[in-house]
Amino acid sequence: MPEEIILETRGVTKRFDGFAAVSGVNYRLREGESAGIIGPNGAGKTTFFNLLTGMFPPTEGTVLYRGADITRIPAHGRVGRGIVRTFQLVSVFDSLTVRENLVLALIRAGKEHAVSARFFLEDAWSGNLPDLSAGALGTVGLREKALWKTSELSYGDKRKLEIALALCLRPSVLLLDEPFAGLSDVEIVEVLELIHRVRKDFTLVIIEHKISRIVDLVSRLSVMHEGKLIAEGEPAEVLADPLVRQVYWGRP
Amino acid sequence: MTERLRRIDILLIAGAFLLLLPFLKFQRTTDYIIFCVFVLSFDLIYGYMGRLSFGHMLFLGSGAYSVTLFAEHVSPNPFLSVLFAIVAAAAVGALLGPVVVRTTGAAFALINLAFNQVGHFLVLIAFARYTGGEDGMSAVFSKTGFLDFQDKRVLFGFCLACLLLTCWGMKRLTRSPFGILLRMIKENETRVKFLGYDTFRYKWAAYAISAGVAGFSGALSILNYGYVTPSFIDTNRNVEVIFASLIGGAGSIYGSLVGGVVFMAISNYLPTYIPRWEMFLGFGLLLLVFRFRMGIWGALSALEAFRPRREGEGG
Repeated sequence: MPEEIILETRGVTKRFDGFAAVSGVNYRLREGESAGIIGPNGAGKTTFFNLLTGMFPPTEGTVLYRGADITRIPAHGRVGRGIVRTFQLVSVFDSLTVRENLVLALIRAGKEHAVSARFFLEDAWSGNLPDLSAGALGTVGLREKALWKTSELSYGDKRKLEIALALCLRPSVLLLDEPFAGLSDVEIVEVLELIHRVRKDFTLVIIEHKISRIVDLVSRLSVMHEGKLIAEGEPAEVLADPLVRQVYWGRP
Repeated sequence: MTERLRRIDILLIAGAFLLLLPFLKFQRTTDYIIFCVFVLSFDLIYGYMGRLSFGHMLFLGSGAYSVTLFAEHVSPNPFLSVLFAIVAAAAVGALLGPVVVRTTGAAFALINLAFNQVGHFLVLIAFARYTGGEDGMSAVFSKTGFLDFQDKRVLFGFCLACLLLTCWGMKRLTRSPFGILLRMIKENETRVKFLGYDTFRYKWAAYAISAGVAGFSGALSILNYGYVTPSFIDTNRNVEVIFASLIGGAGSIYGSLVGGVVFMAISNYLPTYIPRWEMFLGFGLLLLVFRFRMGIWGALSALEAFRPRREGEGG
C-alpha cells in the first residue's frame, strides 16, 4: 500500500533577526502515522510547529498539505484543512466556562460557521451544542465540570480541555506541543492514556523533550538540534545514533 | 440575579427608567436613556471584544449629523431619518474597520482618536457649509401619524422602546456564538485563529455593529435636542462613555445600563455641589481601576445573594 504524504516541508527556514531558529528542514509525515519530534530546549521544535500550522510564514522553503502548497495560507485556513494543534503553555480561555471553550470549535467542525444569522443571533446553547460539548468533555473526563469557570480547573484538567478543543475540530493531523509539560506524574499517565485512546482517528505529531515518554507512542522519531533535523527513523534506531547520543547525553 | 428575574429583564429595565421619571424631567430621563444606548454600543467593542477606543464619539456624531442632514434634505420623517443615521454610522464603521481592527491596545485607542479628530474637523471646518460649522444646525422632524416627537412624553416612550430594543439585540448578540467569539478574542486572539476563525472578519463586524448602535444613540439625541453641534462629535467627550463603562462594569449589558445612569447622575448633580467635580470623578476612577475593576454591577454580582457570573456574560 503506497503511503500518502499528508504533510511535508521542503527546505523550510525561519530566521529571526538573522538567527535561524529553523534551518533548511525537509520533513515528511505519512498519513495515519504517529510521529515524534524530540530535541533539547531551543532546538527549534516549536518554531517548526509554528511553520507547519501557519503561526507565521517561513523565511524560505515551502509547506505542503496532501501535495498542495499551503505556505501562504494563514492559521485559520489550515485548521479548515484539518491541521490542528495545541500549545506548549496550555492555551484555553480562562474567562469562559469549560463548555463555552468548545462552542466555536464544534461549530467550525460543523462547517456552518460562515456568516449566518444563527451564528450572530441564536443562543449558543439552544441547539445540539450542549450534547456535543458534553460528549467531547466526556471523552477527556471533564463532563462533570462542564459549567465550571475554566480558571478554576487544575493545569492538568486545562490540558485535557485543550485536547478536547483540538478533537472537536476533527483534525486530520493533530500536532501536540509538549502535551506533558507542567503535569504531575498522575496527570501524565492520564493524558498518555487519552492520546492512546483517540490517536487512531488522525495523523499525530508530538513534540517532547523527554524521550522516554513518547517512545511507546510513536512509530517514527525525528531529532532536532540547533534548528536542523539531525536524525530520523524508528525510535530504537534513532536513539542508538551516535550523533543523537552526543546531543542528548554529551557522549556517543 | 436569579434566572427568573433575568428572563423578565427587559420589563425590569423599563420599570427602572419609569421610576426615574419622578426625579428627573422627561427630557432628562430621555437623555439618560439615550446615553445608555451609547454605553451599550461602546461595551460591545470594549467590554466584550476587549478593545478600548478613545474615539467612539465619531460614530455618535456620524449618527447625529446623518439624522439632521437626512431630515433637512431628504425626508423629515423621524423614523426614516433615524434608520438612515444607523446605516450611515455603521457604514463609517465598516469603512474604517479594516484599518482600525488590525490594531490592539494603545494603537487601537489612538487610531480611533485620530479618526474622531478628522471627523470633528470635517464637520467643524471642511464641511461647515453643510453642517453649520461651530454653530451647528437645527433639525426639524415631521409628525408621523399620532406620534409627535415634539411632545417630550412621546419621545421618552420612543427612546425607551429603542433602548429596550438595543438591550434585546445586544443580549441576543452576546449570548450567541459570535458573542463567545468576541470574548475569546478579548482573552487570546491568536488562539482563536487556531480554532479556524478569521478573527479579522468578526472584529470588523463587531466594530461596524458597534458604530451603528452608537449612531443610533446620536440620532436619538438629535430627536431629543432638536439641533446638532460639533459637541456631538467632540473627542473630549470620549471620556464620558469610558467612565460610564468602568463605573457600571464592562462586559455586561446590565453593567452598561447602571454605568450610564450613574455617570449621567454624577455629571448632572455633582457640579451643583462641587465646582471642580471632574477632579473627584478622577479620584473615583482611580479607585475603580485599582480596587474595583468589575464596576458596580460586577461588585453586586459577586455578592452572596447574587449568582456568580454566568454563561453568556463577559468578565
